[in-house]
Amino acid sequence: MFCMKEKNSATTASTLGRILATCSKQAKDYGSCVASKVHEIEKDLCLKEFLALKSCMQHTTSVGSGALSHAYIQNPSLRCNVPESRGLFYDDANRLLICVTSSQVFSWETATFNPDVSPSVDSIPEGPILSIRFSLDKKAIAVQRSDCEIQFFHRETKQTLTHKCRAGSESILGFFWSDSPLCDLAVVKTSGMDLFACDSAMNLRLVETKKVNVNWYIYTHESRLVLLASGLQCKTITGFQLSTAGVVRLPKFEMTLATTESNSKPIISPGDVHLITVYGRIYCLQVDMEAMLLHTYRFYRDAVVQQGSLPIYSSKLSVSVVDNLLLVHQIDAKVVIIYDLFVDSRAPVSAPLPLLWRGYQGSDTSSQQENEGTESSTSNENIVMYEEAWTFLVPDLILDQTNKVLWRAISASSSDRSSLLEFLQRRKLEANKAKQLCLGIARTLILERRPATQVTQAIDVLVTAYSYSVKAGIYKELKNEKTTATTPTNDGASPDNERGRASGSSIDEEEVEMNLPSGSADEQQESQLSSPAISPDELYKFVFASVEEAMVEESDYLVAIITEFLRSISAEKLKVDLNIYVMTVRLLAHSKRFAELSLFTTNKIIEPSKEVALQLLESGGQNLRVRKLGLDMLRQLSLHHEYISSLVQDGYYLEALRYAQKRKVTSVRSSLFLEAAFASNDMQHLAAILRVLSELIPGFKETSEYYTFHGLLNETSSSVAV
Amino acid sequence: MASMSSGDESLRLCVFDLRRGQTEGQELDKILFFHPPELDVSTQLSVTGLSEGLITFTRLFSPEAACEVIEAERHSHVFYEPEPDIWMVMVVEKNKDTGAIWRIEALRGMLKEVHSLFVMFHGSVRALLEKESTGGLTRAQLYPFITDYLSTFQKRSRSEDCCCDLFVGKNLQLPNFRETTLSERGTVQMLTLSRDTALEVQSLVQVLESCAANLRCHSMILFQDLLVSTTLSPDDTVNLFTFAVMRLTSQALLSSDASSWSHLRKGTGSSETSSRSTSAPIGSIDSMHHVIRPLQNDKWKKGKDGFLITDIWGLESGGSPDSANPTVWLQQTQERVYLLAYQYKSLTSLLLLPKTDIVHGGLSAVKQQVIEQASLRIMKIEEKISRGWGGENAYHVKGYRYLVVDTDLEVSRASPSGKVATLAKESLLALNKLREEVDLEKSRAKGQERDLDICIRAKNNAWVIARVSRGKELYMALEKASDTLLDATDAVGRFSNRYCSGAFLMD
Repeated sequence: MFCMKEKNSATTASTLGRILATCSKQAKDYGSCVASKVHEIEKDLCLKEFLALKSCMQHTTSVGSGALSHAYIQNPSLRCNVPESRGLFYDDANRLLICVTSSQVFSWETATFNPDVSPSVDSIPEGPILSIRFSLDKKAIAVQRSDCEIQFFHRETKQTLTHKCRAGSESILGFFWSDSPLCDLAVVKTSGMDLFACDSAMNLRLVETKKVNVNWYIYTHESRLVLLASGLQCKTITGFQLSTAGVVRLPKFEMTLATTESNSKPIISPGDVHLITVYGRIYCLQVDMEAMLLHTYRFYRDAVVQQGSLPIYSSKLSVSVVDNLLLVHQIDAKVVIIYDLFVDSRAPVSAPLPLLWRGYQGSDTSSQQENEGTESSTSNENIVMYEEAWTFLVPDLILDQTNKVLWRAISASSSDRSSLLEFLQRRKLEANKAKQLCLGIARTLILERRPATQVTQAIDVLVTAYSYSVKAGIYKELKNEKTTATTPTNDGASPDNERGRASGSSIDEEEVEMNLPSGSADEQQESQLSSPAISPDELYKFVFASVEEAMVEESDYLVAIITEFLRSISAEKLKVDLNIYVMTVRLLAHSKRFAELSLFTTNKIIEPSKEVALQLLESGGQNLRVRKLGLDMLRQLSLHHEYISSLVQDGYYLEALRYAQKRKVTSVRSSLFLEAAFASNDMQHLAAILRVLSELIPGFKETSEYYTFHGLLNETSSSVAV
Repeated sequence: MASMSSGDESLRLCVFDLRRGQTEGQELDKILFFHPPELDVSTQLSVTGLSEGLITFTRLFSPEAACEVIEAERHSHVFYEPEPDIWMVMVVEKNKDTGAIWRIEALRGMLKEVHSLFVMFHGSVRALLEKESTGGLTRAQLYPFITDYLSTFQKRSRSEDCCCDLFVGKNLQLPNFRETTLSERGTVQMLTLSRDTALEVQSLVQVLESCAANLRCHSMILFQDLLVSTTLSPDDTVNLFTFAVMRLTSQALLSSDASSWSHLRKGTGSSETSSRSTSAPIGSIDSMHHVIRPLQNDKWKKGKDGFLITDIWGLESGGSPDSANPTVWLQQTQERVYLLAYQYKSLTSLLLLPKTDIVHGGLSAVKQQVIEQASLRIMKIEEKISRGWGGENAYHVKGYRYLVVDTDLEVSRASPSGKVATLAKESLLALNKLREEVDLEKSRAKGQERDLDICIRAKNNAWVIARVSRGKELYMALEKASDTLLDATDAVGRFSNRYCSGAFLMD
């Protein structure tokens, strides 16, 4: 689960400030070293600087609980305290954490990561369990008993079936379920891969056999990709994607391994290779311990392209993917480095910082322990970061085999503001928090009086992201949420997909659709937002409107930013809450920039509306020209009533009456005109108005007003005559 | 030249200070400027003497606003008091046969304009006089300035004179009713922008003004000779706009090179004639004072970096690198600012930076910033505007010859001069007369807003219409309007709704 730091940026800044103050030199050294060598990655790149910074940071962050990190482990964790447990397995296709005893299978749903979820229990006959996976419809459980036997148990009918291979000549390396139309089950053997179709009665029918010599294999359901390693060094890789579109064979490729001086040939083990999916792209990461490099490969339908390498600082290493970000755990160094593979640069998103707990507080732990029973001796204090038994599961789970605890990794990061925003806008999970953070960043940028160009850049990012997500149909207004949530949207149609197509046909088009169930699951879970995109209205409400009061003395600056914001949304053909125009008028009038105010109004940069017109009239208290702009706007909008009232108020009662006569407006109180004329002491006008009104308003001559003013008129004229 | 020096009586213009030369025999000290300069002293004195006498006399009855105009049989005397006790008087000859028919307010507009421009460059006349009590400095600055200004209206020769003038001798020809009837001096002509272009322009303005780091500065952008954007107050905008259109815009530069087409504002006179005409009276004073001639024609060039350069303010080599840069005085902020003009094709961007805030050589840093930060945007906006620009006749409305003035915003828009020229002389004269009447009504209202609605049928059956409503004025000549008054007002109503957002309500 992706989770951003909720602390507001001010506290972040202070914590970061503390660390940077302490480790500024080391941070600078490491940063400049990485920056200078991004293009010439080699073994132990910037190692010295890295170690210096790491130790400094660890030293600083170990002091106090306000320690800073980019990546956190989320508490509470899922604990599987099953007595006599014989092992923990993770079924990534169903996102199940499975704990087996001699005759029982406990499985926890992890898709909605609820630590309090209770396991479902199935009974299976006793026997060794090498691996265990539920079928995709969860009706059957498949258990690998030995290197030549897989057993299937139907959960409802309790039917059992055994599949064996030819003993001696080949052995089973593993198996996985598939949702491709061709087959339901794939069994990987040393001689190749057998694909089986499986009917409801669990009868297996061999559909196809892929003949390859296999030393080991890796598979992730997320990518639907199986990599079969062969050769002496296990560096020849054959890949198949068993997607809903069918089975695709990837071109064979060789992994890169540096030759050692001792001439001993290193062998790639399955633990050295990681399949990850970020932004709908599939990458393979391969550890090259000799070179101390992590090579990345990207899979296309017709090619495998090496993408460059990341430095390694630890003899043990693992990876997680948290919301499309790659977290490389340098296990020995006990730090995590975050990369965003979307960015072409191979420079890390953030400086290395240790993995920390999150959401862990004394009270939380105690309540959690109460729930689980007092026999649970495992409290967070006892858990050591990056313990030997930690297993990093795809994509973002960490399993502690000894303590039987499962966590989710989360990450928070900070760097250059606009690229940070860009990056936050690409997040799909926990959109709400990403969104709040974006808004917070934008606000802070303005409040800190950052250069307008910087703020503009940031706002451009937000507006473009919103526009994009609207076009792609990701962004939904909250009120439409329920109706649209059920229909599959192109949730994964993120910009990278288009890029992928541009740069070669992407293998992951189907894959993208696969991600959908998980996406909607998350939606149901808590956040109603499917995208962190921020609509212009929200930007106005939560950024501009909220900073107005603080910025009123620097309205020039704020107006400049609003203009850029308007330009940005106009370029994307979006609309914004018209209150932003009201606010712009207010700001311009406040700084007495009347020339610009009239330019803004005549050029319709400030879109005409009743509210704007009324604000112009109000601001025009100081400046008649501005007031006239407001009047003109009322007239242009055909707001006859308001126009006439304002005219009378300004003393143009004749013009007002003329207008009323022309437009046949009778809603304005007739006494307004009469009183204005009477106040100006012009009896000719008063008489004229009385006449026009009696023509304009039927039955006016019977009203008391008519009598009053007619009487007044007669009185004065007679007195004049006298 | 010959006719001008031989007592050309078509125009006399003088500037004098009532506080000077109070004693007998010192009268000449009053005169700060006189045109034509060759005129003998006694004639000069008689013109100023008459004017002073009239001013003193009329002040008895109207101390606040003394004499405005004297209409004699053959001459009109136009009075204007730009600063307390500083008077400008213009005497023009009336001659119906030659088309020398003047609207007094149009002439006074010229006086106002030249004074405003003078103040923009040199500060107020009074301040100059206080700075140097002999008046030498003031005279030294005023002479070339007003002469350069008048040279704008100088016609080179008869063949180039589009308004065929039989009077060969008159080199200096003030804009007559043909040019002034449907135009308003002292206003700005705006370019209408679409909203997205306006936003782009506004964004450019911000980039431009950010080029001066943290200095509070102003800017103005022109496309050809139309205003695109300004952050100056209306008065400063008008002054700077007038100057830019005269000397800085792409077309002003073009016409100073080739004097290709004449416009009522545009200088077609060559610098040669203007400098010769001024050399005689000021030659002796010149050496004593550092005279700057900001309105001198043909002195601006576009530099390699896109900035307009001139040697009017001196050469870069002498003294501070910024001293050769033009400066102007802004009324709104009451400060002297450097004027930087950057030009790309038809787009001229003016940047105004407070002189006191610019440290030694700081201007070149700003220029560099403009080139780095803004030049690309300027290029894009120029392209965008050019693409959408309807050309010289963009604001022509078929069947109408019009002038719309917004006196609040000091903005006007009129039919293109080429189209106005197609009007019959009778229509123009009638409209000119009507404008005189409106001017009179307005001056009687004494600053209060008047509502006027006048439709007159001219001798040639054309309708001439004036409509004044709450600070907005509309003048119109309809030659093809059908017979009834109703049709004419309908036509005006349609025009008002369509092009003036209904500002002129017609009954």
